[in-house]
Amino acid sequence: MASQLSEWTGEDVRLADVDRAIAELRAGTASTTGQPSLRTSVMTHMAWVPEGWEDAARAALSGMAERHPSRTILLFPEPNAGSDGIDATVALECYAVPGVEREVCSEVIELHLRGMRAKAPASIVEPLLVSDLPVFLRWRGEPPWGAQELDQLVGVTDRMIVDSTEWDDLPHPYRQLSGLFDRAAVSDIAWARTSRWRALLASLWPDVADVGTVRVHGTHAQALLIVGWLRSRLGRDDIALEHVDLPRLEGIDLDGEPAPFPPGDPPMPSDVLSDELDRFTRDPIYEAALLAAVQ
Amino acid sequence: MTEAAERQKNPLLEGLTFRRTPDPCALVIFGASGDLTHKKLMPALYSLAFRQLLPPRFAIVGVARTQGDDDSWREDMKQAVQKYARDEFRQDVWDGLAANMHYAATDFADEGGENALEELVGRCDSEQNLGGNRVYYLAVPPSAFPTIVEALGKRRSATGWTRLIVEKPFGHDLASARELNTMLWAHFQESEIFRIDHYLGKETVQNMLALRFANGVFEPIWNRQFIDHVQITVAESIGIEGRAGYYEQAGAIRDIFQNHLLQLLALTAMEPPIDFTADSVHSEKVKVLKALHTPGPKSVVRGQYGRGFVEGEEVPAYREEAGVAANSMTETFVAAKLFVDNWRWADTPFYVRMGKRLARRETTIAIQFKRAPHPPFEETAAEGLRPNVLLVHVQPDEGVSLAIGAKVPGQGMTIQTVHMDFLYGGAFRTGMPEAYERLILDTMLGDGTLFTRADEVDEQWLLVDAIVAAWTRDRPAFPNYAAGTWGPPSSEELLRRDGRSWRRN
Repeated sequence: MASQLSEWTGEDVRLADVDRAIAELRAGTASTTGQPSLRTSVMTHMAWVPEGWEDAARAALSGMAERHPSRTILLFPEPNAGSDGIDATVALECYAVPGVEREVCSEVIELHLRGMRAKAPASIVEPLLVSDLPVFLRWRGEPPWGAQELDQLVGVTDRMIVDSTEWDDLPHPYRQLSGLFDRAAVSDIAWARTSRWRALLASLWPDVADVGTVRVHGTHAQALLIVGWLRSRLGRDDIALEHVDLPRLEGIDLDGEPAPFPPGDPPMPSDVLSDELDRFTRDPIYEAALLAAVQ
Repeated sequence: MTEAAERQKNPLLEGLTFRRTPDPCALVIFGASGDLTHKKLMPALYSLAFRQLLPPRFAIVGVARTQGDDDSWREDMKQAVQKYARDEFRQDVWDGLAANMHYAATDFADEGGENALEELVGRCDSEQNLGGNRVYYLAVPPSAFPTIVEALGKRRSATGWTRLIVEKPFGHDLASARELNTMLWAHFQESEIFRIDHYLGKETVQNMLALRFANGVFEPIWNRQFIDHVQITVAESIGIEGRAGYYEQAGAIRDIFQNHLLQLLALTAMEPPIDFTADSVHSEKVKVLKALHTPGPKSVVRGQYGRGFVEGEEVPAYREEAGVAANSMTETFVAAKLFVDNWRWADTPFYVRMGKRLARRETTIAIQFKRAPHPPFEETAAEGLRPNVLLVHVQPDEGVSLAIGAKVPGQGMTIQTVHMDFLYGGAFRTGMPEAYERLILDTMLGDGTLFTRADEVDEQWLLVDAIVAAWTRDRPAFPNYAAGTWGPPSSEELLRRDGRSWRRN
């Protein structure tokens, strides 16, 4: 279990204030444990959290730092706040390590970007990135394609994580997303959630190669990505898709015949995100599936 | 068909990540009522089941002389799992594992018992369609090996693969180890024999390979030009834990030095392998072991603990332990200066020490670099400065730390040594698998990288035999160190003669 030693909050702050607060909080751990806490990071983890996504973002992050010690920067854009400025909360989340007196502490920085500050987020996060470590950007909801803030944050990101299940008007946004492939590696939680089913369908080779119609009982995003995957891997653009809308992927029929259920339990949301944080390179299979889904 | 060929043929497999899943098989454990099975093997199997890493069709057959049946053994093993497993006990996981656990009470030398065992394993095979695949685990004293191996050899499954895990000690000298190999080779191919050294299954031992060969910064300075010397410590605070029968014969040199310690040294000193296949890694380790020597009898010291205090509690002397002879000359401590005679390490000493009832439990590899050639500070400014040391903590506190000199904040220029720490549990918070989990799984997968090959064992015994031969010529005054200390004074003297000292622990 994480313990939150202390927290610092400031309104209308400069980034130097945030840096100073991190240093002071870290120094504070030394006085409580006798020795300074261990500073371990494997990444900077950013999340862009528009209004309405706050609780979901915090819930998904719960326990994440424990599994992936990182500096977490949550950006809450408030472009219509009526004033310009940055309000910040900085906390240290510390975790005991068995057999070691010192704790491992990770920083969680929440920045509320008011007014114009929400328009140039890269200039705000760049001074806070942990040097030499990969930067992951979790974007909640559908990104504002072509907007300056998206363009800027992708520019400082190694891997962008989205969940296209959160998007409307699919597959249109997929075309927009594909425009980012050459700038940052992309992970899609919707795609990650199909992995058990893809392994299952692969096990049906070679019969599955002749499938004519695929009916997917799940989200629209998952339906599109599965048929896109089959089309791209099998080199066939004539595979038809039927979609039964369900909040999660619960079944796939091949030419009217239900495919067997994959073994094991579906992964927890934090497990899915955690797995994506372990990936560092582009996923050409996903990219091809997404492009085929748009066809 | 290979996995690559399978993927080429089935385009849907591309990009999917699959866990390494072993073929269906039966695991037959000889010594099923013993300590190792209780404390290590069954908890490891439970953890593998907990993570769904065991084959989809799998059976465990326990074999021992102790009377019992399937139910009593399952109950016994359930208690062992509840006591020793690293994962929480889940009834559903246990039920899944226990459903395919069977027990055969038999004397290994009994022909009828062997036939009954084969019949039981055959029944498991046909019920679960295991394809004739077998892993035999010899968790029994070496004296039982020949009988069991011969019986297994005669009754080899006509289909599928067969693998044999052999626990240490692998012989008690070079001659007996070669005899044992000859006996094994009469029935099994070398690729079917998995000689276990559980240290190689530890994550931090494997991390030595990652540290050296995945980081460009270390390898250029990993040689005699930059490294002053290496210290390897394998220290235990416990005594012989009721194993007098074994320990009186083995002593520290056969218990730890011949296997764990020399393997740690080989991983530290080996050249980069061309790939991470079993043969490539083994071949590089063998080169180190072939080049290893000690400069003479004075470069090896031995000790035996007397009474003392460990963690505040008074503990008996070795000779007062149950089952130990009152005049025992068995060593419980060994320290040595070794050299690896090759281009990389010529004239660079490797100081090693290992023993029981030492001040604390610790396994570390310390790479001590040469001092900076000309520190431009006043002498007093740098008096707190020690040479750079890269310290690999194998256990406990698994991780790596680097001792560096840093300026003490203030007006003057005072330098002090500080540690930069990488703590395994801090960076990777997924829980480290126990060594036996990895090694059992690797055996099922047929991956022998983390096991020892016959020629490695040969080279290890060659060195040990040379050391032990010299010991026959003198009779040290045992006991010569108090329990709870860092060994006899001669251990300190070994380094002091070279103008060095053991690391401050």
